[in-house]
Amino acid sequence: MPGSVEVPTLQELNVEEVNVSSAVLKAAAHHYGSQCDKPNKEFMLCRWEEKDPRKCLDEGRKVNECAIQFFRQIKGNCAESFTEYWTCLDYSNLHELRQCRKQQKVFDDCVLDKLGWQRPELGDLSKVTKVATSRPLPENPYHSRPRPEPNTPVEGPLQPAKYGSRMFFWNW
Amino acid sequence: MASSKVMQDMPPPGGYGPIQYKRNLPARGFSGYTMFGIGIGIMIFGYWRIAKWNRERRKLLIEDLETRIALLPLLQAESDRRSLRVMRENLEEEAVIMKDVPGWKVGESVFYTERWVSPTNEELYNLRPREELIKSTFGFLKYM
Amino acid sequence: MLSTIITHIINPLAYIVPVLLAVAFLTLVERKVLGYMQLRKGPNVVGPYGLLQPIADGVKLFIKEPIRPSTSSPFLFLATPTLALTLALTLWAPLPMPYPVTDLNLSMLFILALSSLAVYSILGSGWASNSKYALIGALRAVAQTISYEVALGLILLSTIVFTGGFTLTMFSVTQESIWLLAPAWPLAAMWFVSTLAETNRAPFDLTEGESELVSGFNVEYAGGPFALFFLAEYANILFMNTLSAILFMGATNLPMLPELTTINIMIKAALLSALFLWVRASYPRFRYDQLMHLVWKNFLPLTLALIMWHTAIPLATAGLPPQL
Repeated sequence: MPGSVEVPTLQELNVEEVNVSSAVLKAAAHHYGSQCDKPNKEFMLCRWEEKDPRKCLDEGRKVNECAIQFFRQIKGNCAESFTEYWTCLDYSNLHELRQCRKQQKVFDDCVLDKLGWQRPELGDLSKVTKVATSRPLPENPYHSRPRPEPNTPVEGPLQPAKYGSRMFFWNW
Repeated sequence: MASSKVMQDMPPPGGYGPIQYKRNLPARGFSGYTMFGIGIGIMIFGYWRIAKWNRERRKLLIEDLETRIALLPLLQAESDRRSLRVMRENLEEEAVIMKDVPGWKVGESVFYTERWVSPTNEELYNLRPREELIKSTFGFLKYM
Repeated sequence: MLSTIITHIINPLAYIVPVLLAVAFLTLVERKVLGYMQLRKGPNVVGPYGLLQPIADGVKLFIKEPIRPSTSSPFLFLATPTLALTLALTLWAPLPMPYPVTDLNLSMLFILALSSLAVYSILGSGWASNSKYALIGALRAVAQTISYEVALGLILLSTIVFTGGFTLTMFSVTQESIWLLAPAWPLAAMWFVSTLAETNRAPFDLTEGESELVSGFNVEYAGGPFALFFLAEYANILFMNTLSAILFMGATNLPMLPELTTINIMIKAALLSALFLWVRASYPRFRYDQLMHLVWKNFLPLTLALIMWHTAIPLATAGLPPQL
């Protein structure tokens, strides 16, 4: 008896998206990771615990709000140096950060000046973090059926087989 | 037995001096041991440079991976919403297509379980133009 | 539709046509260089300095009547030269110059696999000719190429320990600090000799032996099919040299000016090709048993030992490359 798949309506899914290309995302990634740490971690925790994208839409909305806010701040304060930086990244097909240290320095200085954002140290973003959240831990995220009781009582008496073992050669 | 006046041509008394038959090539360039040493030296220098650069490259890789760690929540949230939106649109399309079939339940799960089953690309883009399926499968890879 | 045409027709043509042009003029350069090394002039009649000689050769070969021996296996006889040229041209696709036509992650394995397939074109053509000279020539050529492929593969393995991946673009990243030629010059020397043998060049050209032996596996070929073999052979020579340049004499890619990388790689490849010609002009041919002795008793143990050494050294000095 299959149930039906519940899909949220389009209004619930309507979120202001971040319409930027990969080079822009990569150029901003380190600062983004440290600035929007809280909603990001919250979302990832939800996604990990719930195992269901439909239950994490609110957290996802917050992630996008933070990202939009983040990019607006960059655009308002450091648009020029940021554009320099990501166009430089876009020159190579791998978006190698090491090719653009000069532009990165200018951008970092600008961001530190105007917004007070510090570039995270190498290894900071990959640290394991604990997230304080008010969302309750989901019960049974895998929807597993209840396990049968161990050692169920046997109905009827148990007796030895009438004609001995079925094993032909070793019938003891 | 007149002794003839003709003198036989004889070696000088005491014999000829030793003939130099040994090959006498000028020793050009470095000796073999020196060249061997230079070769080993170049190798050691090369190992040192490569090892140093590889340690640097490991750091660069960590930096690269951290950009992905930072961006993953954003991309994940986006792709979740995108697939849910496509599913919703598919449901509406399904209702229109199957409206004449009696007893058809729109949006019936094909699985017994209640848990979330991520839809495959084919499921999502079945009712849409084929280009969208190809785009979502291969992205910007042009030569597939 | 337009993008399909571009990706499937224009893109391949954009590298095939230059490769074929380079092959044509490589034959001219070879004859000129060999000529001057032997104090004679080389081709100088067709066009200025003989520049149109390769075109004349090509036209001659393709308007000649293609001989199809009546006892041969007709399909295989014509399919194998086609296979040879197709493989030789396909091999160029994953080469980063600096951006490859097909960006494969395991491009090194792809190249090894395709170059091993080239053996079948030799074997097939020798067998399909239905002539004992062609068959014996094919057997010898196949034995030689397969043997030297072992050495090539093992050498590649130890260079991969330095770079940390089978991707050819990683080689150019690794060699930004120093060419792999410096830490691995013994390997590079063995690699160069093995490429000579793999492409059936002098002094390992027992399979062709234009003047002394009866031309090996392609005796029965003339005209167009022979021209295909010829093109495949020279395309392979150029390819091997480009690969050596990428592997050992790395060309750093500046993303701002990728054209410089192309010029850089091709200059190195041209120098290595000149070295091929120089070797051909200087050394007498190997005897067959010496050739086999060289690869199985010298190169194989040396490369195996160097693999162990080259895994031990980065491990000991914490200089292992990044691994994803």
